[in-house]
Amino acid sequence: MPITSVAETVLTFLVEGFFKAIELLISGDISTWSAVSATLNASTGSMLVSLLTGLPCGFVLGYFDFRFKRPIRTILDTLLALPTVCVGLIVYAFISSKGPLGDMGLLFTLTGIAIGQTILAFPVVTAITAAIIENIDPALKLTLVSLGAGKKDIILTCLWEVRFGILAAAVTAYGRVLTEVGISMIVGGNIKYHTRTMTTAIALETNKGLFADGIALGIVLMAIAFTVNLSLSFLRKK
Amino acid sequence: MASPVPLYTLCRLCHYYGGKKVVDIDEFNIPSGSITGLSGPNGSGKTTFLKLLAFAIAPSQGEIRFNGRREYPMSARVRSRVTLMTQAPYLLKRSVLENVVYGLKIRKDTKKLKQRAERALAAVGLDFDGFHNRAWHQLSGGEAQRVALAARLILEPQALLLDEPVASVDAESARLILKASLAARDKWGCTLIIVSHDLAWLNACSDTRLSMEKGRIFSTHEEIILPPPYQTVQTGSTVNWILPLSNGRQVCLPDKTGETALIPADKINIAREVETQFNGKNRIPVLVTRMALEPKTGRIEVDLNADAFGLTLLLSKEQAGALNLQPGKKRILVFRTRDVFWR
Repeated sequence: MPITSVAETVLTFLVEGFFKAIELLISGDISTWSAVSATLNASTGSMLVSLLTGLPCGFVLGYFDFRFKRPIRTILDTLLALPTVCVGLIVYAFISSKGPLGDMGLLFTLTGIAIGQTILAFPVVTAITAAIIENIDPALKLTLVSLGAGKKDIILTCLWEVRFGILAAAVTAYGRVLTEVGISMIVGGNIKYHTRTMTTAIALETNKGLFADGIALGIVLMAIAFTVNLSLSFLRKK
Repeated sequence: MASPVPLYTLCRLCHYYGGKKVVDIDEFNIPSGSITGLSGPNGSGKTTFLKLLAFAIAPSQGEIRFNGRREYPMSARVRSRVTLMTQAPYLLKRSVLENVVYGLKIRKDTKKLKQRAERALAAVGLDFDGFHNRAWHQLSGGEAQRVALAARLILEPQALLLDEPVASVDAESARLILKASLAARDKWGCTLIIVSHDLAWLNACSDTRLSMEKGRIFSTHEEIILPPPYQTVQTGSTVNWILPLSNGRQVCLPDKTGETALIPADKINIAREVETQFNGKNRIPVLVTRMALEPKTGRIEVDLNADAFGLTLLLSKEQAGALNLQPGKKRILVFRTRDVFWR
Protein backbone atom coordinates (compact mmCIF):
# COMPACT_ATOMS: atom_id res chain seq x y z
CA MET A 1 0.00 0.00 0.00
CA PRO A 2 1.47 3.41 -0.97
CA ILE A 3 2.53 5.68 1.88
CA THR A 4 0.03 8.39 0.90
CA SER A 5 -2.85 5.91 1.18
CA VAL A 6 -1.68 4.85 4.67
CA ALA A 7 -1.49 8.47 5.76
CA GLU A 8 -4.96 9.13 4.34
CA THR A 9 -6.38 6.10 6.20
CA VAL A 10 -4.82 7.17 9.51
CA LEU A 11 -6.05 10.73 9.02
CA THR A 12 -9.53 9.46 8.23
CA PHE A 13 -9.51 7.37 11.43
CA LEU A 14 -8.42 10.35 13.48
CA VAL A 15 -10.95 12.75 12.00
CA GLU A 16 -13.73 10.19 12.29
CA GLY A 17 -12.60 9.40 15.82
CA PHE A 18 -12.63 13.06 16.79
CA PHE A 19 -16.19 13.61 15.60
CA LYS A 20 -17.26 10.30 17.07
CA ALA A 21 -15.75 11.28 20.44
CA ILE A 22 -17.77 14.51 20.46
CA GLU A 23 -20.87 12.60 19.45
CA LEU A 24 -20.37 9.96 22.19
CA LEU A 25 -19.99 12.59 24.87
CA ILE A 26 -22.76 14.91 23.72
CA SER A 27 -25.26 12.13 23.06
CA GLY A 28 -24.69 10.80 26.58
CA ASP A 29 -23.72 7.35 25.34
CA ILE A 30 -24.23 5.17 28.40
CA SER A 31 -21.35 2.78 27.76
CA THR A 32 -18.91 5.66 27.18
CA TRP A 33 -20.00 7.55 30.29
CA SER A 34 -19.94 4.34 32.30
CA ALA A 35 -16.32 3.74 31.20
CA VAL A 36 -15.44 7.37 32.03
CA SER A 37 -17.05 7.00 35.45
CA ALA A 38 -15.29 3.67 36.14
CA THR A 39 -11.95 5.15 35.08
CA LEU A 40 -12.36 8.24 37.27
CA ASN A 41 -13.62 6.28 40.29
CA ALA A 42 -10.82 3.74 40.25
CA SER A 43 -8.06 6.24 39.48
CA THR A 44 -9.25 8.83 42.02
CA GLY A 45 -9.45 6.22 44.77
CA SER A 46 -6.03 4.79 43.96
CA MET A 47 -4.46 8.26 43.74
CA LEU A 48 -5.88 9.30 47.10
CA VAL A 49 -4.50 6.22 48.82
CA SER A 50 -1.13 6.37 47.07
CA LEU A 51 -0.74 10.08 47.90
CA LEU A 52 -1.73 9.58 51.54
CA THR A 53 0.77 6.75 51.95
CA GLY A 54 3.41 7.72 49.40
CA LEU A 55 3.98 11.32 50.57
CA PRO A 56 4.96 10.45 54.17
CA CYS A 57 7.00 7.45 53.01
CA GLY A 58 8.77 9.61 50.41
CA PHE A 59 9.46 12.27 53.03
CA VAL A 60 10.96 9.74 55.45
CA LEU A 61 13.03 8.21 52.68
CA GLY A 62 14.32 11.55 51.42
CA TYR A 63 14.76 13.38 54.72
CA PHE A 64 16.22 10.85 57.14
CA ASP A 65 19.32 8.70 56.96
CA PHE A 66 18.84 5.17 58.15
CA ARG A 67 20.09 1.66 57.55
CA PHE A 68 18.97 0.02 54.29
CA LYS A 69 17.93 3.39 52.86
CA ARG A 70 19.91 2.82 49.62
CA PRO A 71 18.57 -0.70 48.94
CA ILE A 72 15.03 0.57 49.58
CA ARG A 73 15.60 3.41 47.10
CA THR A 74 16.94 0.97 44.53
CA ILE A 75 13.93 -1.33 44.92
CA LEU A 76 11.57 1.63 44.72
CA ASP A 77 13.26 2.96 41.59
CA THR A 78 12.95 -0.49 40.03
CA LEU A 79 9.25 -0.54 40.87
CA LEU A 80 8.81 2.62 38.79
CA ALA A 81 9.03 0.35 35.75
CA LEU A 82 6.65 -2.24 37.19
CA PRO A 83 4.63 -3.78 34.30
CA THR A 84 0.92 -3.28 34.85
CA VAL A 85 0.15 -6.87 33.83
CA CYS A 86 2.50 -8.11 36.59
CA VAL A 87 0.65 -5.99 39.15
CA GLY A 88 -2.63 -7.30 37.73
CA LEU A 89 -1.46 -10.89 38.08
CA ILE A 90 -0.22 -10.41 41.66
CA VAL A 91 -3.43 -8.70 42.76
CA TYR A 92 -5.46 -11.36 40.94
CA ALA A 93 -3.55 -14.09 42.80
CA PHE A 94 -4.45 -12.45 46.10
CA ILE A 95 -8.10 -11.61 45.49
CA SER A 96 -9.26 -14.49 43.30
CA SER A 97 -11.52 -17.04 45.01
CA LYS A 98 -8.51 -19.29 45.76
CA GLY A 99 -6.33 -16.40 46.98
CA PRO A 100 -5.79 -15.35 50.61
CA LEU A 101 -8.18 -12.39 50.20
CA GLY A 102 -10.67 -14.27 48.04
CA ASP A 103 -13.44 -14.03 50.64
CA MET A 104 -13.49 -10.25 50.37
CA GLY A 105 -15.11 -10.41 46.95
CA LEU A 106 -12.80 -7.86 45.35
CA LEU A 107 -12.26 -9.65 42.06
CA PHE A 108 -13.95 -7.95 39.08
CA THR A 109 -14.73 -4.84 41.12
CA LEU A 110 -13.57 -1.24 40.85
CA THR A 111 -12.09 -1.57 44.35
CA GLY A 112 -9.92 -4.42 43.07
CA ILE A 113 -8.75 -2.25 40.17
CA ALA A 114 -8.07 0.63 42.58
CA ILE A 115 -5.92 -1.66 44.77
CA GLY A 116 -3.82 -2.66 41.77
CA GLN A 117 -3.52 0.94 40.61
CA THR A 118 -2.45 1.99 44.11
CA ILE A 119 0.39 -0.55 43.92
CA LEU A 120 1.29 1.00 40.58
CA ALA A 121 1.17 4.63 41.75
CA PHE A 122 2.71 4.24 45.21
CA PRO A 123 6.33 3.78 44.01
CA VAL A 124 5.97 6.74 41.64
CA VAL A 125 4.70 9.09 44.37
CA THR A 126 7.20 7.80 46.96
CA ALA A 127 10.28 7.80 44.71
CA ILE A 128 9.64 11.26 43.25
CA THR A 129 8.79 12.75 46.66
CA ALA A 130 11.97 11.22 48.15
CA ALA A 131 14.07 12.66 45.32
CA ILE A 132 12.48 16.10 45.76
CA ILE A 133 12.96 16.06 49.54
CA GLU A 134 16.58 14.91 49.15
CA ASN A 135 17.26 17.90 46.93
CA ILE A 136 15.63 20.39 49.28
CA ASP A 137 17.79 23.42 50.10
CA PRO A 138 19.64 22.60 53.37
CA ALA A 139 19.05 26.21 54.39
CA LEU A 140 15.30 25.49 54.61
CA LYS A 141 15.61 23.10 57.56
CA LEU A 142 18.03 25.42 59.34
CA THR A 143 15.64 28.34 58.77
CA LEU A 144 12.67 26.38 60.12
CA VAL A 145 14.61 25.20 63.18
CA SER A 146 15.85 28.73 63.79
CA LEU A 147 12.28 30.05 63.61
CA GLY A 148 11.24 27.57 66.28
CA ALA A 149 9.59 24.87 64.17
CA GLY A 150 9.02 21.48 65.77
CA LYS A 151 9.28 18.16 63.92
CA LYS A 152 5.68 18.24 62.68
CA ASP A 153 6.04 21.85 61.47
CA ILE A 154 9.27 20.95 59.68
CA ILE A 155 7.63 18.03 57.82
CA LEU A 156 4.54 20.00 56.83
CA THR A 157 6.45 23.14 55.83
CA CYS A 158 9.02 21.15 53.84
CA LEU A 159 6.22 19.41 51.94
CA TRP A 160 4.50 22.74 51.32
CA GLU A 161 7.76 24.31 50.10
CA VAL A 162 8.17 21.57 47.49
CA ARG A 163 4.47 21.49 46.61
CA PHE A 164 5.13 22.08 42.90
CA GLY A 165 7.45 19.10 42.74
CA ILE A 166 4.92 16.97 44.60
CA LEU A 167 2.25 18.12 42.19
CA ALA A 168 4.49 16.87 39.38
CA ALA A 169 4.81 13.52 41.21
CA ALA A 170 1.03 13.31 41.51
CA VAL A 171 0.53 14.15 37.83
CA THR A 172 3.10 11.53 36.79
CA ALA A 173 1.46 8.88 38.98
CA TYR A 174 -1.99 9.86 37.74
CA GLY A 175 -0.80 9.54 34.16
CA ARG A 176 0.42 6.02 34.88
CA VAL A 177 -2.83 5.02 36.60
CA LEU A 178 -5.13 6.61 34.03
CA THR A 179 -3.50 4.91 31.07
CA GLU A 180 -2.87 1.41 32.41
CA VAL A 181 -4.67 -1.55 30.80
CA GLY A 182 -3.18 -4.64 32.42
CA ILE A 183 -4.63 -4.22 35.92
CA SER A 184 -8.08 -3.14 34.73
CA MET A 185 -8.25 -6.02 32.30
CA ILE A 186 -6.99 -8.79 34.64
CA VAL A 187 -8.45 -7.63 37.96
CA GLY A 188 -11.53 -5.83 36.63
CA GLY A 189 -12.44 -8.30 33.92
CA ASN A 190 -13.66 -5.57 31.50
CA ILE A 191 -17.32 -6.04 32.47
CA LYS A 192 -19.59 -3.61 30.59
CA TYR A 193 -21.29 -0.96 32.75
CA HIS A 194 -19.38 -2.24 35.76
CA THR A 195 -15.58 -2.50 35.50
CA ARG A 196 -14.99 -1.47 31.92
CA THR A 197 -12.61 1.47 31.96
CA MET A 198 -11.58 3.74 29.11
CA THR A 199 -8.43 1.77 28.35
CA THR A 200 -10.05 -1.67 28.41
CA ALA A 201 -12.88 -0.29 26.27
CA ILE A 202 -10.35 1.01 23.71
CA ALA A 203 -8.64 -2.40 23.63
CA LEU A 204 -11.98 -4.12 23.13
CA GLU A 205 -13.22 -1.76 20.38
CA THR A 206 -9.93 -2.13 18.52
CA ASN A 207 -10.12 -5.91 18.79
CA LYS A 208 -13.61 -5.76 17.30
CA GLY A 209 -12.22 -3.72 14.39
CA LEU A 210 -14.07 -0.56 15.43
CA PHE A 211 -11.04 1.69 15.13
CA ALA A 212 -12.98 4.93 15.04
CA ASP A 213 -14.75 4.05 18.29
CA GLY A 214 -11.38 3.15 19.81
CA ILE A 215 -9.88 6.45 18.71
CA ALA A 216 -12.93 8.31 20.00
CA LEU A 217 -12.49 6.76 23.42
CA GLY A 218 -8.75 7.52 23.25
CA ILE A 219 -9.53 11.17 22.57
CA VAL A 220 -11.95 11.23 25.51
CA LEU A 221 -9.21 9.70 27.71
CA MET A 222 -6.74 12.35 26.57
CA ALA A 223 -9.34 15.04 27.23
CA ILE A 224 -9.69 13.79 30.82
CA ALA A 225 -5.90 13.80 31.28
CA PHE A 226 -5.74 17.31 29.80
CA THR A 227 -8.51 18.58 32.11
CA VAL A 228 -6.75 17.15 35.18
CA ASN A 229 -3.42 18.68 34.17
CA LEU A 230 -5.08 21.99 33.39
CA SER A 231 -6.66 22.04 36.87
CA LEU A 232 -3.32 21.26 38.51
CA SER A 233 -1.63 23.92 36.42
CA PHE A 234 -4.26 26.40 37.64
CA LEU A 235 -3.60 25.33 41.24
CA ARG A 236 0.11 25.83 40.69
CA LYS A 237 -0.47 29.40 39.55
CA LYS A 238 -2.60 30.05 42.63
CA MET B 1 21.96 45.55 83.51
CA ALA B 2 23.53 42.18 82.75
CA SER B 3 21.98 39.17 84.45
CA PRO B 4 24.32 37.37 86.92
CA VAL B 5 23.66 34.04 85.16
CA PRO B 6 25.24 34.11 81.70
CA LEU B 7 22.83 33.46 78.86
CA TYR B 8 25.23 30.91 77.40
CA THR B 9 27.78 28.82 79.23
CA LEU B 10 29.90 26.56 77.08
CA CYS B 11 31.86 23.74 78.70
CA ARG B 12 34.47 21.62 76.90
CA LEU B 13 32.61 22.15 73.65
CA CYS B 14 33.94 20.27 70.61
CA HIS B 15 32.40 19.64 67.24
CA TYR B 16 33.79 17.49 64.45
CA TYR B 17 33.01 17.18 60.76
CA GLY B 18 34.31 13.89 59.39
CA GLY B 19 36.89 13.55 62.15
CA LYS B 20 38.14 17.14 61.75
CA LYS B 21 37.72 19.32 64.80
CA VAL B 22 35.96 22.52 63.76
CA VAL B 23 34.96 23.94 67.15
CA ASP B 24 37.10 23.54 70.25
CA ILE B 25 36.13 25.74 73.20
CA ASP B 26 37.15 24.85 76.72
CA GLU B 27 35.03 27.33 78.65
CA PHE B 28 33.19 30.38 77.52
CA ASN B 29 30.35 32.57 78.76
CA ILE B 30 28.13 34.99 76.91
CA PRO B 31 26.40 37.47 79.23
CA SER B 32 22.71 38.19 78.82
CA GLY B 33 21.96 41.38 76.93
CA SER B 34 25.46 41.66 75.44
CA ILE B 35 26.46 42.14 71.84
CA THR B 36 29.31 39.87 70.81
CA GLY B 37 31.07 40.41 67.50
CA LEU B 38 32.89 37.44 66.05
CA SER B 39 35.29 37.52 63.12
CA GLY B 40 37.81 35.13 61.65
CA PRO B 41 38.98 33.59 58.40
CA ASN B 42 36.77 31.34 56.28
CA GLY B 43 36.66 27.80 57.66
CA SER B 44 37.58 28.89 61.17
CA GLY B 45 34.34 27.45 62.58
CA LYS B 46 32.23 30.60 63.01
CA THR B 47 29.10 29.32 61.28
CA THR B 48 29.27 25.96 63.06
CA PHE B 49 29.69 27.84 66.33
CA LEU B 50 26.51 29.83 65.61
CA LYS B 51 24.60 26.65 64.67
CA LEU B 52 25.66 25.13 67.99
CA LEU B 53 24.51 28.23 69.86
CA ALA B 54 21.22 28.13 67.92
CA PHE B 55 20.76 24.49 69.00
CA ALA B 56 20.38 23.62 65.35
CA ILE B 57 23.01 20.90 65.69
CA ALA B 58 24.17 18.89 68.68
CA PRO B 59 27.82 19.24 69.69
CA SER B 60 30.02 16.17 69.27
CA GLN B 61 31.29 16.68 72.81
CA GLY B 62 30.65 19.01 75.72
CA GLU B 63 27.61 20.94 76.73
CA ILE B 64 25.85 24.22 76.13
CA ARG B 65 23.97 25.76 79.01
CA PHE B 66 21.27 28.28 78.23
CA ASN B 67 20.06 30.38 81.16
CA GLY B 68 22.09 28.05 83.38
CA ARG B 69 20.37 24.91 82.13
CA ARG B 70 21.84 22.30 79.78
CA GLU B 71 19.89 22.35 76.55
CA TYR B 72 19.68 20.22 73.42
CA PRO B 73 18.54 20.72 69.80
CA MET B 74 14.75 20.81 69.30
CA SER B 75 14.17 21.48 73.00
CA ALA B 76 10.92 23.40 73.30
CA ARG B 77 12.50 25.79 75.82
CA VAL B 78 15.21 27.04 73.48
CA ARG B 79 13.24 26.76 70.24
CA SER B 80 11.14 29.74 71.19
CA ARG B 81 14.01 31.80 72.62
CA VAL B 82 16.92 31.49 70.21
CA THR B 83 16.88 32.37 66.54
CA LEU B 84 19.55 32.32 63.87
CA MET B 85 19.71 34.26 60.65
CA THR B 86 22.03 32.61 58.16
CA GLN B 87 24.29 34.36 55.65
CA ALA B 88 21.93 33.67 52.75
CA PRO B 89 18.58 33.48 54.54
CA TYR B 90 15.99 31.17 53.04
CA LEU B 91 12.63 32.81 52.48
CA LEU B 92 9.65 30.49 52.38
CA LYS B 93 7.83 30.34 49.05
CA ARG B 94 5.11 32.64 50.35
CA SER B 95 4.37 36.33 50.64
CA VAL B 96 6.48 38.66 52.77
CA LEU B 97 3.71 38.81 55.38
CA GLU B 98 3.50 35.01 55.57
CA ASN B 99 7.26 34.82 55.94
CA VAL B 100 7.34 37.39 58.73
CA VAL B 101 4.55 35.80 60.78
CA TYR B 102 5.57 32.14 60.21
CA GLY B 103 7.38 31.84 63.55
CA LEU B 104 4.41 33.31 65.43
CA LYS B 105 1.95 31.00 63.69
CA ILE B 106 3.84 27.83 64.61
CA ARG B 107 3.89 29.12 68.20
CA LYS B 108 0.10 29.48 67.91
CA ASP B 109 0.60 33.15 68.85
CA THR B 110 -1.79 34.68 66.35
CA LYS B 111 -2.95 37.84 68.12
CA LYS B 112 -2.68 41.05 66.07
CA LEU B 113 -0.45 39.40 63.50
CA LYS B 114 -0.75 42.22 60.98
CA GLN B 115 0.10 44.97 63.46
CA ARG B 116 3.09 43.04 64.76
CA ALA B 117 4.29 42.28 61.24
CA GLU B 118 3.92 45.96 60.41
CA ARG B 119 6.10 46.90 63.40
CA ALA B 120 8.72 44.25 62.57
CA LEU B 121 8.93 45.36 58.95
CA ALA B 122 9.13 49.00 60.02
CA ALA B 123 12.02 48.11 62.35
CA VAL B 124 14.04 46.95 59.35
CA GLY B 125 12.99 49.91 57.22
CA LEU B 126 10.39 48.19 55.04
CA ASP B 127 7.02 49.76 54.37
CA PHE B 128 4.21 47.30 55.26
CA ASP B 129 1.82 48.45 52.54
CA GLY B 130 4.47 48.24 49.87
CA PHE B 131 5.88 44.88 50.86
CA HIS B 132 3.48 42.62 52.75
CA ASN B 133 1.85 41.20 49.63
CA ARG B 134 5.04 40.74 47.66
CA ALA B 135 6.13 37.20 46.83
CA TRP B 136 9.46 35.88 48.05
CA HIS B 137 10.96 36.15 44.56
CA GLN B 138 10.03 39.79 44.14
CA LEU B 139 12.63 41.06 46.62
CA SER B 140 16.18 42.31 46.15
CA GLY B 141 19.00 40.70 48.15
CA GLY B 142 18.99 43.47 50.76
CA GLU B 143 15.17 43.41 51.07
CA ALA B 144 15.17 39.62 51.47
CA GLN B 145 17.79 39.94 54.19
CA ARG B 146 15.69 42.53 56.00
CA VAL B 147 12.50 40.44 55.66
CA ALA B 148 14.41 37.50 57.17
CA LEU B 149 15.53 39.74 60.05
CA ALA B 150 11.96 41.00 60.56
CA ALA B 151 10.77 37.35 60.73
CA ARG B 152 13.18 36.88 63.64
CA LEU B 153 12.66 40.20 65.39
CA ILE B 154 8.89 39.66 65.54
CA LEU B 155 9.58 36.65 67.79
CA GLU B 156 11.35 38.91 70.32
CA PRO B 157 13.98 36.23 70.95
CA GLN B 158 16.26 36.14 73.96
CA ALA B 159 19.22 35.42 71.68
CA LEU B 160 19.55 36.59 68.09
CA LEU B 161 22.42 35.03 66.15
CA LEU B 162 23.38 36.75 62.92
CA ASP B 163 25.74 35.10 60.43
CA GLU B 164 27.22 37.65 58.05
CA PRO B 165 24.09 39.83 58.07
CA VAL B 166 25.65 42.56 55.92
CA ALA B 167 27.82 40.44 53.62
CA SER B 168 25.74 40.97 50.51
CA VAL B 169 23.75 44.11 51.19
CA ASP B 170 24.26 47.77 50.37
CA ALA B 171 25.36 50.36 52.91
CA GLU B 172 21.80 51.53 53.62
CA SER B 173 20.58 47.98 54.29
CA ALA B 174 23.61 47.40 56.53
CA ARG B 175 22.74 50.54 58.49
CA LEU B 176 19.11 49.46 58.89
CA ILE B 177 20.11 45.95 59.97
CA LEU B 178 22.47 47.43 62.56
CA LYS B 179 19.78 49.83 63.80
CA ALA B 180 17.17 47.07 64.10
CA SER B 181 19.61 44.74 65.89
CA LEU B 182 20.60 47.40 68.41
CA ALA B 183 16.94 48.28 68.98
CA ALA B 184 16.25 44.61 69.80
CA ARG B 185 18.84 44.76 72.57
CA ASP B 186 17.51 48.06 73.89
CA LYS B 187 13.81 47.09 73.76
CA TRP B 188 13.76 43.59 75.25
CA GLY B 189 17.36 42.93 76.24
CA CYS B 190 18.06 40.62 73.33
CA THR B 191 21.53 39.09 73.36
CA LEU B 192 23.19 39.44 69.98
CA ILE B 193 25.97 37.29 68.61
CA ILE B 194 27.09 38.56 65.24
CA VAL B 195 29.55 37.01 62.80
CA SER B 196 30.92 39.35 60.17
CA HIS B 197 33.96 40.00 58.02
CA ASP B 198 33.08 43.69 58.03
CA LEU B 199 35.24 44.63 60.99
CA ALA B 200 34.26 48.30 60.99
CA TRP B 201 30.56 47.39 61.08
CA LEU B 202 31.22 44.77 63.73
CA ASN B 203 33.20 47.17 65.90
CA ALA B 204 30.42 49.72 65.63
CA CYS B 205 27.88 47.41 67.19
CA SER B 206 29.77 45.00 69.48
CA ASP B 207 30.40 45.22 73.21
CA THR B 208 32.87 42.36 72.99
CA ARG B 209 35.00 41.51 69.99
CA LEU B 210 36.18 37.97 69.48
CA SER B 211 38.20 36.22 66.82
CA MET B 212 37.96 32.62 65.81
CA GLU B 213 40.84 30.58 64.47
CA LYS B 214 40.80 26.81 63.96
CA GLY B 215 37.64 26.51 66.04
CA ARG B 216 39.06 28.39 69.01
CA ILE B 217 37.93 31.73 70.36
CA PHE B 218 40.26 34.60 71.16
CA SER B 219 39.69 38.08 72.46
CA THR B 220 40.31 40.29 69.42
CA HIS B 221 41.80 43.37 70.99
CA GLU B 222 43.72 41.61 73.74
CA GLU B 223 45.34 38.76 71.88
CA ILE B 224 46.73 38.94 68.38
CA ILE B 225 46.66 35.69 66.41
CA LEU B 226 49.76 34.80 64.42
CA PRO B 227 47.96 32.45 62.07
CA PRO B 228 49.32 29.18 60.66
CA PRO B 229 50.94 27.63 58.63
CA TYR B 230 53.97 27.36 60.90
CA GLN B 231 57.26 25.75 59.91
CA THR B 232 60.35 24.42 61.58
CA VAL B 233 63.91 25.43 60.69
CA GLN B 234 67.01 23.63 61.79
CA THR B 235 69.89 25.74 63.13
CA GLY B 236 72.74 23.44 64.05
CA SER B 237 71.28 20.87 66.38
CA THR B 238 68.27 22.97 67.44
CA VAL B 239 64.90 23.09 65.74
CA ASN B 240 63.07 26.42 65.82
CA TRP B 241 59.46 27.21 64.98
CA ILE B 242 58.78 30.09 62.60
CA LEU B 243 55.90 31.80 60.82
CA PRO B 244 57.22 32.44 57.29
CA LEU B 245 56.52 35.83 55.69
CA SER B 246 57.22 37.01 52.16
CA ASN B 247 60.67 38.14 50.95
CA GLY B 248 62.32 35.50 53.13
CA ARG B 249 61.23 37.21 56.36
CA GLN B 250 59.95 35.22 59.27
CA VAL B 251 58.46 35.53 62.72
CA CYS B 252 60.43 33.52 65.30
CA LEU B 253 58.19 31.56 67.63
CA PRO B 254 58.88 29.73 70.87
CA ASP B 255 58.73 25.92 71.04
CA LYS B 256 55.31 24.72 69.89
CA THR B 257 53.04 23.80 72.76
CA GLY B 258 49.63 24.41 71.19
CA GLU B 259 47.69 24.83 67.94
CA THR B 260 47.79 28.59 67.48
CA ALA B 261 50.48 31.17 68.22
CA LEU B 262 49.29 34.34 69.95
CA ILE B 263 50.79 37.50 71.31
CA PRO B 264 49.22 39.79 73.88
CA ALA B 265 48.37 43.11 72.26
CA ASP B 266 50.10 45.06 75.02
CA LYS B 267 53.39 43.30 74.21
CA ILE B 268 53.43 44.69 70.68
CA ASN B 269 55.24 47.91 69.83
CA ILE B 270 54.97 49.94 66.68
CA ALA B 271 58.10 51.69 65.52
CA ARG B 272 58.59 54.25 62.77
CA GLU B 273 61.70 52.44 61.60
CA VAL B 274 63.88 49.55 62.76
CA GLU B 275 65.13 50.61 66.13
CA THR B 276 68.48 49.06 66.92
CA GLN B 277 68.24 49.79 70.62
CA PHE B 278 65.22 47.52 70.89
CA ASN B 279 66.17 43.93 71.71
CA GLY B 280 63.03 42.39 70.32
CA LYS B 281 63.75 39.58 67.97
CA ASN B 282 60.84 40.06 65.58
CA ARG B 283 60.65 43.12 63.41
CA ILE B 284 57.88 42.91 60.85
CA PRO B 285 57.09 45.60 58.26
CA VAL B 286 53.40 46.43 58.30
CA LEU B 287 51.12 48.68 56.31
CA VAL B 288 48.45 50.77 58.02
CA THR B 289 45.28 49.90 56.09
CA ARG B 290 42.53 51.55 58.14
CA MET B 291 42.05 53.75 61.14
CA ALA B 292 38.77 54.37 62.89
CA LEU B 293 37.57 55.94 66.08
CA GLU B 294 36.05 53.38 68.44
CA PRO B 295 33.07 55.37 69.72
CA LYS B 296 32.64 53.41 72.95
CA THR B 297 36.18 53.94 74.30
CA GLY B 298 37.42 56.92 72.29
CA ARG B 299 40.46 54.95 71.22
CA ILE B 300 41.76 54.58 67.70
CA GLU B 301 41.41 51.26 66.04
CA VAL B 302 44.30 50.63 63.68
CA ASP B 303 44.23 47.81 61.13
CA LEU B 304 47.68 46.67 60.09
CA ASN B 305 48.57 44.35 57.25
CA ALA B 306 51.64 42.23 57.87
CA ASP B 307 51.41 40.38 54.55
CA ALA B 308 50.92 36.89 56.07
CA PHE B 309 48.36 38.12 58.55
CA GLY B 310 46.34 41.14 59.56
CA LEU B 311 45.84 42.54 63.01
CA THR B 312 43.90 45.25 64.74
CA LEU B 313 45.37 47.27 67.58
CA LEU B 314 43.62 49.76 69.82
CA LEU B 315 45.76 52.82 70.48
CA SER B 316 45.14 56.02 72.36
CA LYS B 317 44.84 59.17 70.29
CA GLU B 318 48.18 60.30 71.70
CA GLN B 319 49.92 57.04 70.71
CA ALA B 320 48.50 57.18 67.20
CA GLY B 321 49.53 60.84 66.90
CA ALA B 322 53.06 60.22 68.19
CA LEU B 323 53.59 57.45 65.64
CA ASN B 324 52.10 59.66 62.91
CA LEU B 325 49.90 56.77 61.82
CA GLN B 326 47.87 57.22 58.67
CA PRO B 327 46.39 54.70 56.28
CA GLY B 328 49.01 53.88 53.65
CA LYS B 329 51.99 54.51 55.96
CA LYS B 330 54.52 51.75 56.56
CA ARG B 331 55.63 50.96 60.09
CA ILE B 332 57.53 48.24 61.92
CA LEU B 333 55.86 45.84 64.32
CA VAL B 334 58.20 44.82 67.11
CA PHE B 335 57.72 42.10 69.70
CA ARG B 336 59.79 39.57 71.59
CA THR B 337 59.67 35.89 70.75
CA ARG B 338 59.36 35.03 74.42
CA ASP B 339 56.11 37.04 74.62
CA VAL B 340 54.52 34.77 72.02
CA PHE B 341 52.55 31.89 73.50
CA TRP B 342 50.66 28.89 72.16
CA ARG B 343 47.11 27.81 72.77
